[in-house]
Amino acid sequence: MAICQFFLQGRCRFGDRCWNEHPGARGAGGGRQQPQQQPSGNNRRGWNTTSQRYSNVIQSSSFSKSTPWGGSRDQEKPSFGSFDSGASTNRKEGFGLSENPFASLSPDEQKDEKKLLEGIVKDMEVWESSGQWMFSVYSPVKKKPNISGFTDISPEELRLEYHNFLTSNNLQSYLNSVQRLINQWRNRVNELKSLNISTKVALLSDVKDGVNQAAPAFGFGSSQAATFVSPGFPVNNSSSDNAQNFSFKTNSGFATASSGSPAGFRSSPAFGAAASTSSAISTSAPAFGFGKPEVTSAASFSFKSPAASSFGSPGFSGLPASLATGPVRAPVAPAFGGGSSVAGFGSLGSHSHAAFSKPSSDTFGNSSISTSLSASSSIIATDNVLFTPRDKLTVEELEQFQSKKFTLGKIPLKPPPLELLNI
Amino acid sequence: MSLFGTTSGFGTSGTSMFGSATTDNHNPMKDIEVTSSPDDSIGCLSFSPPTLPGNFLIAGSWANDVRCWEVQDSGQTIPKAQQMHTGPVLDVCWSDDGSKVFTASCDKTAKMWDLSSNQAIQIAQHDAPVKTIHWIKAPNYSCVMTGSWDKTLKFWDTRSSNPMMVLQLPERCYCADVIYPMAVVATAERGLIVYQLENQPSEFRRIESPLKHQHRCVAIFKDKQNKPTGFALGSIEGRVAIHYINPPNPAKDNFTFKCHRSNGTNTSAPQDIYAVNGIAFHPVHGTLATVGSDGRFSFWDKDARTKLKTSEQLDQPISACCFNHNGNIFAYASSYDWSKVRTPGAALGAPRQQSALGSEGLGLSCDSSQDSHVSLGRSPSPPCKGKLQDFLKWLWGFSTAFGQNPAHRKCLASVSHYGLLCSWAQKHRQAGGCTL
Repeated sequence: MAICQFFLQGRCRFGDRCWNEHPGARGAGGGRQQPQQQPSGNNRRGWNTTSQRYSNVIQSSSFSKSTPWGGSRDQEKPSFGSFDSGASTNRKEGFGLSENPFASLSPDEQKDEKKLLEGIVKDMEVWESSGQWMFSVYSPVKKKPNISGFTDISPEELRLEYHNFLTSNNLQSYLNSVQRLINQWRNRVNELKSLNISTKVALLSDVKDGVNQAAPAFGFGSSQAATFVSPGFPVNNSSSDNAQNFSFKTNSGFATASSGSPAGFRSSPAFGAAASTSSAISTSAPAFGFGKPEVTSAASFSFKSPAASSFGSPGFSGLPASLATGPVRAPVAPAFGGGSSVAGFGSLGSHSHAAFSKPSSDTFGNSSISTSLSASSSIIATDNVLFTPRDKLTVEELEQFQSKKFTLGKIPLKPPPLELLNI
Repeated sequence: MSLFGTTSGFGTSGTSMFGSATTDNHNPMKDIEVTSSPDDSIGCLSFSPPTLPGNFLIAGSWANDVRCWEVQDSGQTIPKAQQMHTGPVLDVCWSDDGSKVFTASCDKTAKMWDLSSNQAIQIAQHDAPVKTIHWIKAPNYSCVMTGSWDKTLKFWDTRSSNPMMVLQLPERCYCADVIYPMAVVATAERGLIVYQLENQPSEFRRIESPLKHQHRCVAIFKDKQNKPTGFALGSIEGRVAIHYINPPNPAKDNFTFKCHRSNGTNTSAPQDIYAVNGIAFHPVHGTLATVGSDGRFSFWDKDARTKLKTSEQLDQPISACCFNHNGNIFAYASSYDWSKVRTPGAALGAPRQQSALGSEGLGLSCDSSQDSHVSLGRSPSPPCKGKLQDFLKWLWGFSTAFGQNPAHRKCLASVSHYGLLCSWAQKHRQAGGCTL
């Protein structure tokens, strides 16, 4: 494919829709939905004049537009913030930018989102005024999941209800239920038409939440709005795969950080020792690259999110509560050596990177280490930073690694060679 | 159920609810009206397959019955037989040899009706009303496919009371179509699944819906080699999507078009949008017909992406349609489809359009002008003329009066004429070589 010149200049109008290649954007995009070109193609035919709207894809990072609406919202919905900023962070290919991913949003995405919302409003107006069947699901963009709050009832089903009520001579209850449905529909339509901030957020999450709603699982249903506060779970669950991707990236960041500044890791024992100080974790988070950047879009969130979000503590009983609720999601957590390993960190003194990958220490528990190691080793193509090649080790260090236990005072400063690890 | 209109309190008076009191719009196209129409809304229509000599029409209605007529070449319809269910009949289909009719009903069962013996036996059971039924004839098996609101797709050998196969659907089945080896099922929540039926039915692909609203009807179309290649999907929002399964260029080949809307050109006033109740493809020409809640039917050419013809507006929604096996006859049913549920309790006819509730009928639309068009084949010049005439041939009609209470029986008899088609031909003349 041809490289898109406009994208290189940072001003491609089509964004993901673009038929040319956007170098760097695709790979970083991870699991983002790739829209088909159908709608734009149709447009040229003139059959479907409004399809232009349909083809907009909401970039997950577009959620970051929450900033213009008030950054404080991110506190309420940290899970979203985490997910999206992770994505946007990813796009920048490095968690180092996690400080402020919003700033780097392209105007295209903002425009797309605005168009989407306008489209929704317009569709609602048309829906109301046109007299079309109201008990139908709705999706603002073709090939996207349905927006919550609408139920799908076919005319036949409704009619069957009528017939059933007719036989039981209970027409009034039929009429009542229909009236209720109509009211429900009307309320939802009005809600969408007025589009205040919370509905906007809900909408955007609906639209993006393709994974959960692609197969029309009515799971969200009309309670979506009500359960909005904890949509983090479905969002995160669905994006856990993406999170894995992110975790890979952060691992690499982690690796680079470790090689660059081992001193930074010295805080890890503090991390382990100060088991309950969230601040310690937070401060060390960027350096750790524990997945925080992906999750909490900037360290700024890492302070708030531990308090606010409640991911539950999947097996993190050993970890400080804040870490558990932090960005470390269940699938990602083991990669960083679960709860037990954190405790292990403290006991090993100041050898951070070694702490991360110390196979021979029993305190770690092989399982956690192995998972973390396997994760890290599988992630990191170049292992030099995490493991030293054997030849680079001095005799002493090699001896230490090979022995069952480290002797204090002789603990190597370099990570062990890959071959010695019991994975 | 002649009390349909009155008992519900939906407030319909039998007689004077048409657009204007004087003109009776129940059959503006002056198509043939079928005698002995069902008493309640017609949910489905099906013509007999080519293996059966003559044309037989089956209609299932909300009066729990299935009726069969013989349609003669003259247009005369003779009621032949009737079977009952214990619930409204939602779908009907023929077996490939024309000896059996399968009917699916809200009583959660499907029955096989042997026409020769006039016996009907139950062949399927679901946990919820059976919405679709299709006969599958494969080289190594044949079975009945039933789709139901219990979110399953079941395949039945008519001899056994256990299904051959049960496939789970993501949601309630709303409509389906089968042309071997392809089957398409559209479900609630905008679900869309394509199945391949070779060897044994299996899910081929789940497709993201090209439409934004509830799916209402689906019909498979074939390519020039007579192989199913895609489908047309209609929604409640007056829109039909044409979707190819494996198009060379999805962006360009798949498209949607708006239909069954009022005042199409006037964009300032809010449009009325009606549901597309049925889609049928002409077996020979591949043009498609759509019928809608607005009481119109339209013919379209999906390859040229043009509208060929729209009928006059009937006073009731058209709830079902069907072509006969060679495409000479187009049948459509005019009856209330429950689309006006805006204000239950009040007169269900919203001021926008008067609609008579409780009136239903069957119409055959035919073109008697075939005499004037002789040449059949594709003549190279002028281009497309042959196609036009072929196209014209499949609508033939003449009037018969039908004397019943128009309030309760809707009958349509008319001759369709095709002034509109001339402009269509003109458009194609410009297109140079006829692609149809």
